[in-house]
This record gives sequence, C-alpha cells and structure tokens, in this order.
Amino acid sequence: MNTPVTRRAAIAGMGALAACSPRTAPGPQRQVTLRMSWWGGASAHKATLEALRLFMQRYPHIEVRGEYTGFAGHLERLTTQIAGHTAPDLMQINWYWQVLFSRDGKGFYDLNALSKEIDFSQYDARTLGMGERNGHRNALSVGNAARLFYFNRTTYDKARLALPDSWESLLAAGPKMRDALGDAYYPIDGTFQDFIALARSRIVQKTGKALVDDINKRLNCTPQDIAEMARLYAGLTRNHSLPAARVRAAFGNVAQQEMRPWINGQFAGCYLWNSSIDKFTDTLRPGEHVELASYPLIPGASDAGLLYRPAMMFAINRQTSHPQETALLLNFLMNDPVGIRAMGLSRGVPSSAIARRTLTEDGMMTGLKLDSEAELAKLPITVLESPWFEHPRVRDGFQDILEMQGYGVIDEQTASQRLYDDINAILARVIR
Amino acid sequence: MSTASVHGWRRHLPLINAFIRYGLLIGIGFLMLYPLFWMIGGAFKNNHEIFASPGFIPAHPTTDGFTKGWKTSTEYTFATYLLNTMKIVIPKVILTVISSVIVAYGFARFAIPGRKLLFALLMATVLLPKSVLLIPQYLMFREFGWLDTYLPLYIPQAFAVEGFFVFLIIQFMRSLPVDMEEAAVMDGCNSFQVLTLIVCPVILPAIISVALFQFMWSMNDFLQPLIYLSSVEKYPVALALKMSIDVTEATSWNEILAMSVIALAPSLILFFVAQKYFVEGVTSGAVKG
Repeated sequence: MNTPVTRRAAIAGMGALAACSPRTAPGPQRQVTLRMSWWGGASAHKATLEALRLFMQRYPHIEVRGEYTGFAGHLERLTTQIAGHTAPDLMQINWYWQVLFSRDGKGFYDLNALSKEIDFSQYDARTLGMGERNGHRNALSVGNAARLFYFNRTTYDKARLALPDSWESLLAAGPKMRDALGDAYYPIDGTFQDFIALARSRIVQKTGKALVDDINKRLNCTPQDIAEMARLYAGLTRNHSLPAARVRAAFGNVAQQEMRPWINGQFAGCYLWNSSIDKFTDTLRPGEHVELASYPLIPGASDAGLLYRPAMMFAINRQTSHPQETALLLNFLMNDPVGIRAMGLSRGVPSSAIARRTLTEDGMMTGLKLDSEAELAKLPITVLESPWFEHPRVRDGFQDILEMQGYGVIDEQTASQRLYDDINAILARVIR
Repeated sequence: MSTASVHGWRRHLPLINAFIRYGLLIGIGFLMLYPLFWMIGGAFKNNHEIFASPGFIPAHPTTDGFTKGWKTSTEYTFATYLLNTMKIVIPKVILTVISSVIVAYGFARFAIPGRKLLFALLMATVLLPKSVLLIPQYLMFREFGWLDTYLPLYIPQAFAVEGFFVFLIIQFMRSLPVDMEEAAVMDGCNSFQVLTLIVCPVILPAIISVALFQFMWSMNDFLQPLIYLSSVEKYPVALALKMSIDVTEATSWNEILAMSVIALAPSLILFFVAQKYFVEGVTSGAVKG
C-alpha cells in the first residue's frame, strides 16, 4: 500500500469517491501541492508521514510533501528558507523562534484569518495566547510541556525511601540514600540548566510573581529571594542530594540520559520536561523503573512556579499561496480524529482538547504521560514567565555564576550577590 | 660475561629492535583506531549497552542495528541515500579535478598579468568561512531555479572554487622540471596537449590526493545538502544519518552506528586502493616548497 504506484492509484480511486462525498467542498478543485517541514525522531517521522497519507486520501486534490530532518541544523535551514522566501507552507517551530522570525507578529501568516478552517475552540486561552504577538495569531501549540520531578523507583525502593514530595524531603533524601546505598547514589541529578529551572520554581512559589520583569528589565524579586538559588545549590550538594559539579564532570560531557549513573540508577532522579521524559526512560538499564513524584510546594504557595509552555508549534508561511489548504492540513493534524490518531503521542501530549479526549478514549494515554498530565492539571499554574528568562544570554549568566559556585571559585555569599547584580545588568542590556 | 653470550645477545638485536618498534607502533595504532573499533562494535550492541560499557566487544551481539537502520525511519531505505550521495560526490570529484588542474596549470606555467594578485585572491578564498557565503549563494541558486536539485552542490566545483586544491597542485607542479614540457612544445604540442599528455600523468599522485580529499569531504558535508535539498528522497547519507536524532526521543545509536559503518566503507576502500599515490601526493609538494 505504501509503494508510490499503488498510492497514486489509491488517491485516484479516492478522488472518484470523493467527488460524490459530502465532506469535500463542492465546486471545481484545482490540484494543489503543499510543503510541510518538521524535525523529529523516528516515531515522529513515521506518524507524520502516515497522517499526511490519510490527509491526501481525504482531500485528493491536495498533495503534501513532507520535508523532515533531525533537530540538528533545522533552525539554520529554516532561517535560510525564510530569508530566501522559500519556506514551506506549514512549518513546525519552537516557541521562542517566534521572537526570531516574527518580532512584530507579522512574520507568519495570521491564523485569525483562517478561523473557518481551524477549530480554535479546542484550545484554552492561555495556550492560544502563547502563539500571539501584537494581536496576530502566529502559531498554534502542538503540545504544552513543563518540568516535573521524575525519580527512579527501583533505586528508591532499594534505599527504602519514599519518593520526595516536598523540598524538605528532597534535601533529606541525600544523606539517607548515601547511608543506605553508598557514595555513588544521589536522589536527583541535573545540569546547571535543570537546576536553574528548579530553583526558579521554588523562588516563584515564594514570591508568587514571574522571575523576570520585562517592563522594568530586571529581576522581579528581592536580593534575598534570588539568594535562595545559591543557598539551594549549596544545600543540595552539601547534603549529597545533587551530585556536585566535580562529580558530574567526572563522567564527561555526555547527554544526561546517556550518563552511566543515570542508566544504572545511581543518579535516581531528574527535573525534566514532561515532553522529553521518554528519552530518559528509554536509555535506562532493563529493570529500572521511573515514576512521577508529586510536585513539591511551599506551604501556602499560590503558584507552583512551573514554566508551562508549548513544546513545539505549527505556523503557516506568511507568503503561502494556499492558505486555506494549509489551514485544512493544520486542522486535520491537530483537531481531526483521523489525523489525531495517526499523529498519536509522537509529539507529546497534544494541547487540543479533542485530541486529548480521542487519545484517552483510545487508551493511548498511559503511564508517565497520563500521570504527568494529571499532575499538571492539579497544580496551580497562573504565573506567566517572560520569554526573556529563556534568552541564551540570561541563561548563560545564571549558569556562569552557579558554575563558579559549583567549582568553588566563589562562595555562596558572593554568588547570591552576583546573581542579583549580574543578572539585573544582563536583563537591562538584552531586553528590547 | 663471556664473549659468546654477548655475541649471542647481539645477534638478536635486530629482532629485539623490531619487536620494540612494532610493538610500540601497534600499540599506538590500536589506541588511534580504538574509536573506529568502538563504532564497529557499537553497531552490533543493543542501545543501552552502548552507554553502559566502554569496551567494544558486544556482550550480546545483534544485527538489529543493521536491519532496522537500513529500513530507516523514512519512506526510503538507506540504499536511496547511499545512491544519492554518489550522485553528488562523483560529479563533484570529477569537476573539481578537471577545474583545479587547469587553473593550477595556468598559475604554475604562464606569466599572466596580475598573477600574484589573482593568486593572493585565490588564497584569500581559502580563509573565507563558508557560512558567510551561505545566504547570498542560496539567493543566487534560488534565482537560477536550482533549489532542491543537486546542481548547487557540484556545479560551482567546475570553476575551481576550492583554492586549497589548486594550491596543492601548484606546489606539486613547481617541483617538476619544465624540460619535458618544453620538449613537447618543440614536437608540436599546444599548451592543452602539454597539460593532458605530459603534465597530467606526472602529477597523477596530486590529482589522486585532490580526488580523495574531495570525496571524503563531500561524503561528510552536512550543511550544504541541508540547505539546498528539501525533498527527503534526495537526501544524501550525511543528512540521513541525523534524521532520527531528536531532542524529545531517545536516539537509536546502534542503528546510526551501523549505518555509519556502511557509509564509511566507500571512503575506506577508496583510501586503501589509492593509498600509495595519496601519501606521495600530499608529501611530495612539501619537500621542494
């Protein structure tokens, strides 16, 4: 069924059928070819190709050509295409690429003009808002993601410990695990970037405000609040709860999920995007089992401090000559049961309500995916963090200071002071 | 110590000498080749074993990586991508060799006005980072209507754009005496005949070096095909290998390693076949300078 000849025959056959089907719009239909680009792994490619095949069956007058790659180089390629006015009609983008390609909101097709084709009622206002700039609807979230705590249940069971569900129990797990299993075992592991996100969550739980104030171009907290970041790092590493910088460096510059202690369960936890947890569980040694923990909250916290945002989005080329057809494709992939089933969970848990309902009814939402969604639905998420928090310069600023603290170049006090002064200076410089 | 025993010990000296030398060479050679062995071993491991053990001998050898990797995560098998690579690399190598030899011959043997300046310009292009040219070239090829074809990948090579190769051949030609060429001219050869009949056979080692370098570089080139080719059916191996490396999904490294082993084979075979000329071509230009 997959060979080109039979597919063409099938499409021709479907065309004859579709001519009398009530689903397709009446009137003469000209043959249209669309281009769609995405990046992804093996299962995303397979699922999307299958979805495109089904779409072409449904709309025989539209041919869709998939242009897909791995993640490496995809941004460079898309940048060249957009600069050269040869971008595909439908493209998968990252949330923050909107700032790169559409600072004023006019860089992508305004989806508001296509509300006849795209069912926006399937998305909540917060999700839709994250694809809007200056009143233009630039992109639609495929799936939302947030960082959650995942722990290696096998290791915790071996140490006879419950999974940490509060900040205190996370700190306390360090010495207990070391005593039970030895020096090589840590309750949680993470890169500096993971730790910064983790500390931000705790600070936001305290302040109840976004960490970055992009109007005044500075941190939205007191020096005491941000000092919590340095204190938490010192506390976690001193307590043997988080491997210190030196310990991690001994394993080389390897992706976290490909580090030996993670694979064999010695680093027994991570603070990770729920959209990428599969990548971490896949590399585990057979027999190791990862579970979601309930998110730690400071008593009385009004917000969990989660950075909850689209993991990836779809946008339509501003210069497309077939906006209606492209919108049909977008809607098919995200809001049509046939498309939804074909796409499955290959791009994480979808943000479209009907997609989530369909996949739940089909029994697709299981295990960590289901748990993560349930946990996210339970947590208070109101604070909207400024995208500038994820700006590379800001991120590097945080990382530089914490690295120096981690390697013992500066002490906790100096680190606290510099977190406040340096980050404010960086924010004042980069926010435009 | 008796003289006989000294004599006996001395007798074995060449053997001991060879033993030490070859032992050292084999040891260091093994160290250098370890990553390659590891890659071949890794191709036969299953995915979690790749990270778990630094040794290269798989505990439970499996050919899964090869069978799954060959099928790829796309609509096409790996054979398509290998074939595509050849469709790019072969014309590229041929055009590079022809154009570089002609240009080098011009620089080495003719007193063109402004030769020094032109040569300096050519050398300057070697130092120019390729990424600077990316967008202007892309716009140019878009105007030509060459996007999503192989033309932008090899047509530029017909104009001796690789200054390094021209330089390599010029250095080689400078080390050759002009007597033979002068004799050929006396016998009635025109300059093009001198090049093809007299010079080319002599500079064959340099030509083979250029061809080999270009072959290997083009096999590995990632950015250019990434930018110019948009249809998956036209992707070369370098793109295909990275197709399933993503940020949200675990990567099947064993499949990627297995396909890398296959993709490496043409380069390796070619290198071993042409090894004799290759080493000569790279070094002989250097002796005379």
